[in-house]
Amino acid sequence: MYEEDRALVARMRAGDQRAFDEFVNCSAPRLTAFVARRSALDTASLEDVVQSALIKAVRNLASYRGEAALFTWLTEICRHELIDVQRKAARRPAQVSLEETATARLAVAELRVPEHEEPAATLEAATRAAAVMQVLASLPERYFRALEAKYGDGLSVDEIARELGLTMIATQSLLARARDAFRERWLEIADQTHTGASPL
Amino acid sequence: MNDRRPPETGKEADLSVEKILSGALMKSPPEFHFRERLRNAVMREWRAALSESRPARSAMRRWWIGIAAAAGLAAVTLAALLSIPVGESALFGSIARLNDGGIELRSGWFRYHTLQVGDVLRVGERLTVHGSALVTLSGGGTLRIGAGSNLYIAKATELSFERGLIYLDMPPGLTPSNPLRVATVAGIVEHLGTQYEVMSDARAVRIRVREGRVRFSGTSGVVDAAAGTELLTMPDAPISRQGIPTYGRDWLWTTALAPDYDIEGRSLMGFLQWASRELGRPLDFADTHSRDVAGRTILHGSVRGQEPLDALGNVLATTTLTYELRGATIWVHSAR
Repeated sequence: MYEEDRALVARMRAGDQRAFDEFVNCSAPRLTAFVARRSALDTASLEDVVQSALIKAVRNLASYRGEAALFTWLTEICRHELIDVQRKAARRPAQVSLEETATARLAVAELRVPEHEEPAATLEAATRAAAVMQVLASLPERYFRALEAKYGDGLSVDEIARELGLTMIATQSLLARARDAFRERWLEIADQTHTGASPL
Repeated sequence: MNDRRPPETGKEADLSVEKILSGALMKSPPEFHFRERLRNAVMREWRAALSESRPARSAMRRWWIGIAAAAGLAAVTLAALLSIPVGESALFGSIARLNDGGIELRSGWFRYHTLQVGDVLRVGERLTVHGSALVTLSGGGTLRIGAGSNLYIAKATELSFERGLIYLDMPPGLTPSNPLRVATVAGIVEHLGTQYEVMSDARAVRIRVREGRVRFSGTSGVVDAAAGTELLTMPDAPISRQGIPTYGRDWLWTTALAPDYDIEGRSLMGFLQWASRELGRPLDFADTHSRDVAGRTILHGSVRGQEPLDALGNVLATTTLTYELRGATIWVHSAR
């Protein structure tokens, strides 16, 4: 199991540039989305978390044993980074840094086509995303991972199957159960909200 | 929450849940510069980790590598000889500063090398900029290049900008007869005595004018933009325009690459004007006395290696003046 991931890591450890490119191209966008879903960090902090996680990963490639998918291993590193950042943020006194500080020096403007979303629509989308994450977090970890891979990362059933170490049929079945569980929990919370019992 | 309520059973229910999940979980892919910075930083660490963990090779393996290296060297030498240009191309500029990552240069088919500070750039060379860099242009002015940029020097006065971030600075009084043109995927940018930034990749181009004016000639027409304007366009698309500040966070990468200013024997006023341009903030004096002091004070020493804001604080600390950032301006007044 996870032969491809193990082979990729072996090639990276041998200094294969293509393997490194494959590793970064596949994992960086997914890892960035992984962090973005779990935090409200600004772009720079989000970048720091992903960068630190990937750096730790490439420094410790030898510790990847192929017992889980490479991406799952990366998300574990990322979770720790995220916890560190959140812990540091909690210790930091609440103050706004000066506009032109040295730390902001690296902030390079990003190319972005203007968005025309109304603030209310943006807020609604953010609230809904938070509610979805809350429901997902209440589901079994395997359901959460399958749904996130399918609807967040856009992975095919085949890719999810490989990542979770399952057959295609088992993955389809897992996704169906996960969707059912999600719907059930979502409706439950919706009902609670309707009766004023939940902040959602 | 009622509008979020999905149907309870059937295919419609599945579709509804899928819509809710996709809407909440799908994230836009990271921006180009984000990806490039990330890739470069992780690659550096990966290479460092590789060099630390490389096991000692056996003598036999070294011997074979020696043979292979000799053969490779011969091949590379031959290839390099074949690719040396017959005559040297026109000068474009020289590297004044390099930050981590550096610049890789390709000229001809086989010639690659990493540039150092002081190296010259010539027409026909292609640059891959891993860190950020400051280039002094042979025709006057400077070019600052952000990490992850790719450029091709098409002519002494034309840069083909493939992707990344650049900032062109032509100080007042410098009006070259053939100003530098920047060719992008969506059109050509020409400056009319100015400071401006161009960000580009295969999809879109953003131009931000900090001082003076630029002219953008795209497929949808020709547009002039004055200081404090941002133009945004894509190939074969209309150009959008909006007002922007000429100072603040978005320009910090350019101030970090500001060329050194030699203060020795120069007036405080000249230095303040330099700092004002680099920070994109107009100067404002509290009174005529402060202005007079700035005009007659002659500076000594050096602020080499200091960024404009640091240099401003350090230089003014040696005078009877001080400053405050008031809105967009640098407000200079007596320290007492």
